[in-house]
Amino acid sequence: MSFDIALIIDSIPKMLMGIGLTFQLLFLSLALGTALAIILLLMRISGRWYLSVPTMIYIYIFRGTPILVQIFIIYYGFPQLEFIRESIFWPILREPFGCAIVALTLNTGAYVSEIFRGGVIGVDRGLKEAGAALGISATHRFIHITAPIAIRLCLPAYSNDVISLQKSTALASTITLLDMTGIARTIVAETYAPYEVFVSLMVIYLILTWFIQRSFGWIEKRMSRHIREEV
Amino acid sequence: MEAITGWWDDFFWGSLVVVELFFVALILTVLFGLIGAAAKLSKNRVAHAIANGYTIIFRGTPEILVLLLFYFGSAITLTAIAQAFDPEVKFVDFPPFWAGSFAIALIIGSYATETFRGAFLGVEPGQVEAGRALGLSNLQTFIYIRIPAMWRLALPPFGNHMLSLIKDTALVAIIGLEETLFVAEQAIGTTGKPFTMYILVGAIYLGFSTIITLSVMLLERYANRHLEIAS
Repeated sequence: MSFDIALIIDSIPKMLMGIGLTFQLLFLSLALGTALAIILLLMRISGRWYLSVPTMIYIYIFRGTPILVQIFIIYYGFPQLEFIRESIFWPILREPFGCAIVALTLNTGAYVSEIFRGGVIGVDRGLKEAGAALGISATHRFIHITAPIAIRLCLPAYSNDVISLQKSTALASTITLLDMTGIARTIVAETYAPYEVFVSLMVIYLILTWFIQRSFGWIEKRMSRHIREEV
Repeated sequence: MEAITGWWDDFFWGSLVVVELFFVALILTVLFGLIGAAAKLSKNRVAHAIANGYTIIFRGTPEILVLLLFYFGSAITLTAIAQAFDPEVKFVDFPPFWAGSFAIALIIGSYATETFRGAFLGVEPGQVEAGRALGLSNLQTFIYIRIPAMWRLALPPFGNHMLSLIKDTALVAIIGLEETLFVAEQAIGTTGKPFTMYILVGAIYLGFSTIITLSVMLLERYANRHLEIAS
């Protein structure tokens, strides 16, 4: 057993060819998942049981099962069902990429909507009451008072979720997609050098994680600049 | 549904493997978490740096990658060692159960490290000083004062770590452990009903998540029983 430096130098560019796919999976499912989370949040806090109960069940199911099982149900399981093969979604669900996006979106949506709910609950009641006293309508109170404060409050938890979404994109390699992890697994299957390949890939993922953390740190700092004391 | 008939016992044994994996990994998680927290709280700079590196690496890289690295890495190392003694040997691997439980425990342990660290810091210094004043030794203060005060604080976040842990056990099917997801794949091979089988796996995991959530709720009530108002 030896540590093959040449193999590392050789395999890193190959794995980086998959970074585009990793980014596509991350950003597309993050954007769609956040949109879904906002819809779920509004349903959850609407105060109407026929909207909030289905949302609670949805969140319970998607947070209570492994994301890998969700991916397998969508990619391997759905083609069993006639009505899905005949539906308009079939062109998306036929492709592994579409399935990965759908699974990651549905999963993140459930987690992120809970984070958003935490942020909304954290907004000081007095501020909302002040808005009501000024005669601002409920919708406008939510948009102009609750939402900006809630976003700031849930940003740290949201950034953690972006990182766990980034880690989940690696699971796309289990449904034949060649993202960075998929390429690494192919290289290991050919060369049988798990240490060199997987450790270099872990370093690449660590750099991405660090980058996400830094970006959110910067946004957080900017959003709370009115609180920070001038030095 | 009739497709499942005949597979119930296999799914039962698969679920039992999940339970075993969960408990073994849980014990290791607590162990890694406590060691990590102790290292982070110690004044020893080397221990501090190692613990920091540990949490950064295992919280920032995809779980599947850690698992693949552990399984294939240990296999290649063991094979090399075995071949040094007996050149006839072709392939030796670390059992997937142990490779899986170690990998999962290291990942969740890195999250538990932060939780335990925070909980230890949350123990009131006055209580520890009181113990000292009563003449308790370092170890005695740790066992009788720090641990009972700390686990109450650590319990809510640790409940979430247990949920992540049970969900991560699904990944071990990728390295060939015969748990529920693996059973489902075999059942699909014979019955050709992927949707039914994977939904069943999802339902099993949802059951486990529910049990964990309820247990944590009961434990929290037990931990805070002294705070309840007598009625």
